[in-house]
Amino acid sequence: MRFTYKWLVPLSLMLSPLAQTQEVDVQEIVKRAELAAYYAGDDGRSAARMLITDPQGRKQMRQFVILRKDREDGGSQDMMVFFSRPADVRDTVFRVVKNTERDDDRWLYLPGLDLVKRISAGDKRTSFVGSHFFYEDVSGRSTSQDDFTLIEETDEQYLLEAKPNDPAAVEFARYKVSIDKGTMLPVKIDFFDAKGENYRRVEALKIETIQGYPTVTHSRVQDLRSGGETEMQFRFISYDLGLPDEVFSERSLRNPPRDWLELRD
Amino acid sequence: MGIRAIAQVLTALIISFSVSAQQQDDWDWEDDEWGVAEEPAGLPLHGFAELALGRRTVSSPFHDALSLGDARLRLETSYLWHDINIEAKAEGRYDAVLSAWQGRIRELSAQFSVGSRLDVKAGRQILTWGTGDYLFLNDLFPKDWQSFFAGRADEYLKAPSDAIKVSAYFDWFNLDLVYSPQFDSDNYISGDYFSFFNPWAGGVIAPQPGFNAKRPSGDEWAMRLFRNIEGKEIAFYAYDGYVKSPEALSIDGLPTFSGLQTLGASFRMALGSGLFNAEISHHRSKEDGKGENPRIPNSEWRALLGYELEVVTRLTGSFQFYLEHTQNHDALLANSPFSDWEVEQNRVVLTNRLTWRNQRDDLTLSLFTFYSPTDQDGYLRPGLDYRLDDNWSMSAGMNLFFAEQEHSFFGQFKDNNNVYARIRYSF
Repeated sequence: MRFTYKWLVPLSLMLSPLAQTQEVDVQEIVKRAELAAYYAGDDGRSAARMLITDPQGRKQMRQFVILRKDREDGGSQDMMVFFSRPADVRDTVFRVVKNTERDDDRWLYLPGLDLVKRISAGDKRTSFVGSHFFYEDVSGRSTSQDDFTLIEETDEQYLLEAKPNDPAAVEFARYKVSIDKGTMLPVKIDFFDAKGENYRRVEALKIETIQGYPTVTHSRVQDLRSGGETEMQFRFISYDLGLPDEVFSERSLRNPPRDWLELRD
Repeated sequence: MGIRAIAQVLTALIISFSVSAQQQDDWDWEDDEWGVAEEPAGLPLHGFAELALGRRTVSSPFHDALSLGDARLRLETSYLWHDINIEAKAEGRYDAVLSAWQGRIRELSAQFSVGSRLDVKAGRQILTWGTGDYLFLNDLFPKDWQSFFAGRADEYLKAPSDAIKVSAYFDWFNLDLVYSPQFDSDNYISGDYFSFFNPWAGGVIAPQPGFNAKRPSGDEWAMRLFRNIEGKEIAFYAYDGYVKSPEALSIDGLPTFSGLQTLGASFRMALGSGLFNAEISHHRSKEDGKGENPRIPNSEWRALLGYELEVVTRLTGSFQFYLEHTQNHDALLANSPFSDWEVEQNRVVLTNRLTWRNQRDDLTLSLFTFYSPTDQDGYLRPGLDYRLDDNWSMSAGMNLFFAEQEHSFFGQFKDNNNVYARIRYSF
């Protein structure tokens, strides 16, 4: 029966264009978008600040530096967030180990108490430090949690629709994400509730290419129901710094790695 | 100087800070100001002004209704000098309970690295380790129980140590070694703020001014070996010093601190969708190894099991089981002049923390409960924290003790139940 293999090879080659259904295409798009949005370079550093505007127009600020290192492209990541403003969160440090196989490990360092507080895995679709961004918007939502379909393709963009595999775990019924073909970055995400109302929008307002990596340097989340919004800007972005593994540790909570946090373009 | 005067001083302070803050911190979103260029211009100045008031909910035979009256100004700065990071936090406070002005250095430390694996932090600093939530087995750094019971901010549960801390980081383990040349005790319940049970006096007392325990002249060592293996945190601890609160009596009958050595271990990891922690510690009473001396605390084992879980979105619940096992308990009872009032051989404390945060993440409601089924007493700490904006925040809460008897650990504080509110301007 050995000869059948000879036939299988050309058959499979012939079949592949037919077998390449929309599913395969979409998964490829989603994967590339995830890599572009959350895995640029092997590591990265950026200063970030948020302007939080509540429905009454009152404004708040957050400023921090993010360090990130990928353990594997598209896989686990180490992340540290060093807060510098406002005064009541100054010197607070947030440490995340983003795991693909289990819940993320999260720690918060509270300098006033010298306390390394471990945070239990929780709903990641809750406010990140009082902003309209969710934890998940910052660290990235695992693409395996949603089922994607391509609903439109233009010269510039793919428009995908995603439905959660576990609808009870999230506040949305579906979302639409526009992915820019040139950069493969998601540039706009509209979230819809069960009634079909578009209640939340995340969008990239500015994209710059830094060390060859297209990077969102200005983004915004809008709460379309209440009118509140948060803008986030990134500056002093740098990729492939060669951040050592040791930087992502309890040591850096108590003694931040100043060399790596120095802001410069 | 009364409450009104404090309020006036604080209002004046806050107004002056608000004005100056608005002038210098009018952070225009569109400009290029990221706070980077301004740093060399001078030392950064941060801190807060806070007014805190509390009153007893039950009348006390020992104290006025006022249980907390602080007008506080905290100033913080830091300076980098040749890779040495100097941190300073100082505060001035008018305390209306004691009718006294107080100035304190909360932190004044120098931190630097030696080579790539060694960090040193020397000076006055806050130190914390261990896995317990409001329960301390291996963390023998000073606590401020007066602040804790009075409703000051959580930060004040920790009192500073004057110490040198050396941290070494290796591939297989990390090491913290802390040396305090002079013993730093807890800020214990001494009578000035709160009354307490004293078996030698035969009841609840509140000496005015608060009593001063006799301080040993010795030093303290504390050590931690720790490692994090894929999110599983393992630590071993040792301590050589003194019981942190004056639980002993000297030969001349004065309250004092007896010698203590401890060894322990802890473990913390994600379990299910929550967090599990376990900790154990052996406390060896250096001066009463056989437990026969009623003036000196006995040796004991302490054990803790805990679990924390986000019950529903933004509502977190945690439980702890804590055991204090007194060794040589028979000898303690046989030699005690008041065996009816001695601790149970096995004292169990169960705790529960419920924390709820609103969607905007600016309001936190919490309830922390201590309950001891063996002592039949407990302590409730309901609290509310509200962040008005980037500068203003307020908190309110209660400290409620309940018990069958007045000699048990929480029972002795029954006359001190209080309600408090704080307002803070951070800059």
